[in-house]
Amino acid sequence: MIRPHDSVIVHTLARVFTPIIQLFALYVLIHGHDSPGGGFQAGTLFAASVILPVIAFGIQGSLAVLERRAIILGAVGILLYAGIGLLPLILGGEFLNYGELPIPGMETSARRHWGILGIETGVTLTVAATAVSIYYSLRERGEEEGK
Amino acid sequence: MTSSLPGFLFAIPFFAAIAIPVAGFTNQKLCRPVALGALVLLSIVSVIGLSEAVSHGPLSHEFGGWAPPIGIEWVIDGLSGILMVAISIVSLIALVQAGPLVKKELSGRLIPFYSLSLLLIAALGGMVLAGDLFNLFVFLEIGSLASYVLVGVTGGRSLLSAFRYLILGTIGASLYLLGVGYFYAATGTLNMVDMAQQLPGLLDSRAILTGLLFIVLGLSIKMGLFPLHGWLPDAYTYAPNSTTPLLASVVTKVPLYAFVRIAFWVFGMDAVSVQIPVLVVLGWIGAVAAIVGAYLAIWQENFKRMLAYSSVSSMGLFVLGFSLGTETGFAGGLFYVLADTLMKAALFGVAGAAVYQCGANTVADLVRLRRNMPWVSAALLVSALSMVGIPPTAGFFGKWYLVVGALEAEKYFAVATILVTSMLTALYFFRMFQHMWAEEPRPLTEPRVLETPFPIRMSLGILTFGIMALGLGSDFVVGLIFESVIPEGF
Repeated sequence: MIRPHDSVIVHTLARVFTPIIQLFALYVLIHGHDSPGGGFQAGTLFAASVILPVIAFGIQGSLAVLERRAIILGAVGILLYAGIGLLPLILGGEFLNYGELPIPGMETSARRHWGILGIETGVTLTVAATAVSIYYSLRERGEEEGK
Repeated sequence: MTSSLPGFLFAIPFFAAIAIPVAGFTNQKLCRPVALGALVLLSIVSVIGLSEAVSHGPLSHEFGGWAPPIGIEWVIDGLSGILMVAISIVSLIALVQAGPLVKKELSGRLIPFYSLSLLLIAALGGMVLAGDLFNLFVFLEIGSLASYVLVGVTGGRSLLSAFRYLILGTIGASLYLLGVGYFYAATGTLNMVDMAQQLPGLLDSRAILTGLLFIVLGLSIKMGLFPLHGWLPDAYTYAPNSTTPLLASVVTKVPLYAFVRIAFWVFGMDAVSVQIPVLVVLGWIGAVAAIVGAYLAIWQENFKRMLAYSSVSSMGLFVLGFSLGTETGFAGGLFYVLADTLMKAALFGVAGAAVYQCGANTVADLVRLRRNMPWVSAALLVSALSMVGIPPTAGFFGKWYLVVGALEAEKYFAVATILVTSMLTALYFFRMFQHMWAEEPRPLTEPRVLETPFPIRMSLGILTFGIMALGLGSDFVVGLIFESVIPEGF
């Protein structure tokens, strides 16, 4: 069991920072392909925003659900990436050629824009899920040995 | 010619590898059909790819629509087509056979087993198809990571051997990457075709020499070439029986492919035999590996360990064949690689079946097979005779072409090496036959053993049939190799 921290300062700061980190993660994800950032960075930020409340308040509550299912979320992220990559391939183009994504009424450049955003979202999900499950398994191992 | 086939060859097993955890999360029984279905599809597409590449020339796929040498290019030509067909069909048979074993050994951990096996197959495909040196490295690492886990998945001794494999494998991959770095510094490109055009003027460069040395060393560790085979016997002996047929048949062959591709396609025959004579050195190392591997195999009590040393010996023969420098030697080496893929899948399959059905771990225990397991015994007999090189099995024709190639090259020492290796191979397999058929079993104390479950029998039957068919059809296969694989410069 992960025990909550007992300091008021930690509680307050965690409560303030969690939504800010998540907002910043979204910003990094959405602006990833035309400014510094991207899926990997956004994913680690999201993972941090999940891990921080667990450190501060303990595992009770809705976040406990993530413990077992995080890795499935990771697979969903890769599926999203591979799916967007595969779609142009099935339609006769090349793997990951966003320009051939079948989105009606859109310029090629806009298709590339949305295609990249799509795969970056997949990367974000996978990185966040992987980081969270690494944290949980390290934590479990540490508690087993600490007993 | 551009084509989407190489993309599909990677996408099919990779997609299945990710779909398995998602499907298995709701119902574990879905894992096996998804995995086998994907491999059937992969086998069909790779046969189509090979026939297209043979009839229309190499097919290339430019990822994301970016043209090489800037973009990433994947290519199916004769060599990668043949290996892709071998990998997909043999891994399909190996996974069919693994079904009953997974239930017993891995206590139903179906999701990691099937997902990692598919990921391993996707990575092997990626290595075979990659048209640039860096992507080759990426897939080398993905495949290695999957195989470390597959070796160590049962814990205990296998975990220790997996850790050793991990350390040595990582050193190998790092050396390879370092070598690629030197090449990139010297040529400014990673694309194989582009590099092949730039290299002839740069062969005096120290960077190229150092890079080639690192690459050969790194790949030698990965392929388990003596004396860098340290990880291999333990990994094969203690890996779960459900994964050894897959690991032992294809995983070391693909780094060998990478070496062949770099030596003969990127550098060219002339460069690696005259200007930087790596082939001369590797020929000698291969000869020593073949003999020492076979010699060590004679003394092993554990059946799987004996087969592992036999793999070390076969790797020596392949390297020797490729370094002979004649067309027949090259074709013989490649043909023997294909034959050995089938033979090792069958032999490790028999080893798995023996442990599964009657707990027979050592060579002496194999006596338990003879009375009640006729199918498994027959598969063992045929594949062992093929390893020794008795006609009309595939192993005989592999060695035949190797010997002819060595005679053409007038390397009589290589001829002697191949013959001595065959003698030693005969020695350790005949020792096994002696245990199986010449000794009286202890009938009263032995509990009655039944024949193995249908999936094991069927896949061993197909592999045995394949060994015979490859032997009888050797003219066709070697003709195909001569026609569409042999690189320029011979």
